[in-house]
Amino acid sequence: MNASAGTLDFASIPERIQSEVQRAIQRSIKGVEYFSTSGPTLGSTPKDVLHSRGTMSLYHYRPQSDELYRIPVLIVMATTNRGYILDLVPGQSFIEFLLKRGYDVYMLDWSAPRPEEKSLRMEDYVLDFIPDCVRRVQQDSGETDVSVIGYCFGGVLSLLYGSIFHDGPMKNLICFTTPIDFREMKLFSNFSDRRYFDVDRLVDSVGNVPPEMILSSFEMLRPASRTASQIQLWENIWNDEFVKSYRMFDRWATDTLPLAGEYFRTITKDLMWDNKLFNDTMSVGGRAAKLENIKVPILHAVAEHDHIVPYDAAKHLITKIGSTDKEEVMLKGGHVSLVAGANAIKRLWPKLDSWLGKRST
Amino acid sequence: MTDKINDPVAMWQKMVGEMEQGFNSFANKAMASPEFSQAMNRAGGVAAGAQKQLGELMEKYLVTMNLPSREQVTGLAERLQSIEGQIGEIKSMLSQMAASSGVAQGIDTTPRPPRTKRPPSEGGEQK
Repeated sequence: MNASAGTLDFASIPERIQSEVQRAIQRSIKGVEYFSTSGPTLGSTPKDVLHSRGTMSLYHYRPQSDELYRIPVLIVMATTNRGYILDLVPGQSFIEFLLKRGYDVYMLDWSAPRPEEKSLRMEDYVLDFIPDCVRRVQQDSGETDVSVIGYCFGGVLSLLYGSIFHDGPMKNLICFTTPIDFREMKLFSNFSDRRYFDVDRLVDSVGNVPPEMILSSFEMLRPASRTASQIQLWENIWNDEFVKSYRMFDRWATDTLPLAGEYFRTITKDLMWDNKLFNDTMSVGGRAAKLENIKVPILHAVAEHDHIVPYDAAKHLITKIGSTDKEEVMLKGGHVSLVAGANAIKRLWPKLDSWLGKRST
Repeated sequence: MTDKINDPVAMWQKMVGEMEQGFNSFANKAMASPEFSQAMNRAGGVAAGAQKQLGELMEKYLVTMNLPSREQVTGLAERLQSIEGQIGEIKSMLSQMAASSGVAQGIDTTPRPPRTKRPPSEGGEQK
């Protein structure tokens, strides 16, 4: 052991004790505050609901710059989670960042499918919801070209859309942490092992797959992390910034959506079991969805420490895509910190702006 | 200033972090086995089966009580959803008509900024 490192600095002990006592008092006060307040308001960037149909909502965010890029941007959110992860609070909102940089921003967001929407199929998402939103973005903006940004499974849906409507209006595609090789999502793959997981029985029994089940499967990937983060919260509860950030992310992470039953059945059988997107055998509503059909410029952002979509599940996207203008960027962070929070502000957002700005005129 | 190695708070935090990593890694190894998948799905299957049976029982009970069944309520919801969809279409058409005739509508009517923005030149300022 290093002698200087191993020497206890006795002079600092009273100071440390005083600081810890103050923090303990603050913890008690702030702890009460924590349970008696509701946390920051999320998703408050001014927007209009352009269209809403069952589980699907299309928002248009009000411009915040004097000049806009010609090509509007449509963000396709993952179907398991709500879109406000990209619009946390002012100063930490990806949407606000895009608006201030001159993009005209739309978002296809999801609400919990109703029991009667259990019959929604992959076809409804890829051949109806996304094309419908793209058409409405075209009408509203007056532009024929549209850039699409897909987050996580929103990226998978965007890829399916782009590979089927390859002559369509999609001008640029940006995917965040998008899996295509589902065999490499090792734990999810094991959870849904076709020898033991009876997806038909589940969907026929429950209709829509309950959010608790989705949340548990995410939490099982890191079973100790929830407890550890609660310990961290208690240690840092005197720190208002830490608590604000914790509440934002915790609220979003636990605000998981149910998945429409038929849609879940297709995800399990076609993607988890047969890995059809990776094997170039995927079709939606009888229409082939091959990644090589996508020829538009594409940026794929992946996270170095993504435990939900490991790099091995995402790395083949760029090689399989048909575009010549394609780039993969690996950034520090995890599945969520890649797109939101301090890490994203510093890394992903500026990278995306410099990539997309040049292709948005 | 105290060194981290002698700081009980830093040591505690390090220990929590290491325990978290160790437990996650151990659990991930255990969960990667086919036995885990089998046990997990057996438990899940039992729960789903029980839920289905309970649902059927409830349906019989509601019929006995002369109350609408879930299927009937779902049917009504489907009809409502279809009506909502049609209203949405009508609203959208009205918005388009209002926009083309210059009449104020429910959504934002502020004129949009021009679509003339150019990307900043390499190393230059954002326009």
